[in-house]
Amino acid sequence: MNFDHLHLLLNHVPIIGFFVGVGLFVASFTGSNEDLRRSALIIFAVVALLTIPTFVSGVGADRSIAREPGVSEALVRRHEGAAMLGLWFVVGTGAAALMALWRSRRPGGTPRGNLVAVLLLAIVAAILMGRTGNTGGDIRHPEPGVTAGAPITEGAVGSIIHVFEPTPDGFTNLMVANKWWWATMMVLHFVGLSLIIGVVGAIDLRIMGFAKELPFGPLHRLLPLALAGLGINVVTGMLAFIGMPAYYAADIAFWFKLAALMLLGLNAAVFYLTGMFDRVERLAPGEDATLSAKIVAASSLLLWFTVIISGRYIQHFEDSLRF
Amino acid sequence: MQVPAPAFLNTLERSGLSTWIRESESAFAYYFVLVLHNIGLALLVGTCGVLGARLLGFVPELPLAPLRRFFRFIWAGFWLNVVSGVVLLIAYPTKALTNPLFYVKLVLIALGVWSLRTIERQLSVDAVARDSAPPVRRSLALWMLGLWLGVLTAGRALAYTATYILYGKGT
Repeated sequence: MNFDHLHLLLNHVPIIGFFVGVGLFVASFTGSNEDLRRSALIIFAVVALLTIPTFVSGVGADRSIAREPGVSEALVRRHEGAAMLGLWFVVGTGAAALMALWRSRRPGGTPRGNLVAVLLLAIVAAILMGRTGNTGGDIRHPEPGVTAGAPITEGAVGSIIHVFEPTPDGFTNLMVANKWWWATMMVLHFVGLSLIIGVVGAIDLRIMGFAKELPFGPLHRLLPLALAGLGINVVTGMLAFIGMPAYYAADIAFWFKLAALMLLGLNAAVFYLTGMFDRVERLAPGEDATLSAKIVAASSLLLWFTVIISGRYIQHFEDSLRF
Repeated sequence: MQVPAPAFLNTLERSGLSTWIRESESAFAYYFVLVLHNIGLALLVGTCGVLGARLLGFVPELPLAPLRRFFRFIWAGFWLNVVSGVVLLIAYPTKALTNPLFYVKLVLIALGVWSLRTIERQLSVDAVARDSAPPVRRSLALWMLGLWLGVLTAGRALAYTATYILYGKGT
């Protein structure tokens, strides 16, 4: 499997996405344009989701590119360090953006502190994505006159950012050095999956027609619990990936799980952004949802169980991919 | 203190079923049972989480009576995990039964079932009559959540605390 091409395809998404997102978000404050602000927040959440496969496909690209002559190992490691730092700010921006979208529905709108947090995180994330893009580009197209093995020279911005960038191997070793740290991450990952399945399952089943005596609005107010579970699992999942990158990247079940997660993002977009949610939200006790809403709810349930099943099969499919 | 593992564990481990689950290359052997155990966990603990959140007053406007219908997912998850758990035990009897944590997990499961049965009974008596005030004490809801989190944690930790993986084979 060629992750090199997948990585080259995906790697523009976080960079362009965050530059456009920050632009729209800043512009939305002039004249308080609510639609523009909402669009920017949605862009941050979507791009944060797409950054996950971008990040993990880099490991596959690393493996295929390392075999080529003239590729500097130091430049590859520098790019990895930049990605490992930037990832957390992208994911953090996505989480803060989802929180802001959730709170925008309350009277009084999103608290100012939440919007400021999104703005600051997004600006840092955009800068770090620029840095990650530059260091990535340098792998294939080094500065003129720089030969493989030559010491890396940093510009003014790069030398400041570089202080905060982890050493890729050091970060990896830190995750697997202690089995109790690993066990803690796995326990948290299972707690997170339970929160997601419990809450999302109850909401999906209600839409599909189970326990129709439940009013939809109050049931849906449990969603922050599922979002907390999602947050726990994105963080623990990415930390586990950093702990054993080659193991996960060479596993077909892992990629299947990621594909299901991406489809869940698409499913959520269809539900929340097409007006379907506004109709479902008004469902009083005993009222039936539309067929299209039921299909979206059923596919959400199916995809979440696909995530669990393929996640549990990762060990079985160890070394199932060659790259 | 080290006590020698009883010989019946060896007999069970050498049986055809135990060996097949453990050693088969089929995707429908060991990891399939683990998947079932995982799905049961998600149904049981996930639904307990929703129920617990409501009982702790997280979303008071959510009526309790229809929420009782979700108990069927709790018990479906529970029985799925009793069965899949027994199959996993058949695959690795020495690993589980020589680990003290396994017995802690069993006690926590028993207490967890007791807490759930109590909540279910109290809800069926009171919930329909007076929906606004939760008839279940918050402390009981907290116990229920804590016990099942304990079961989950103990179950996960079994993978990291075994003294023996197979009969006569230490870690």
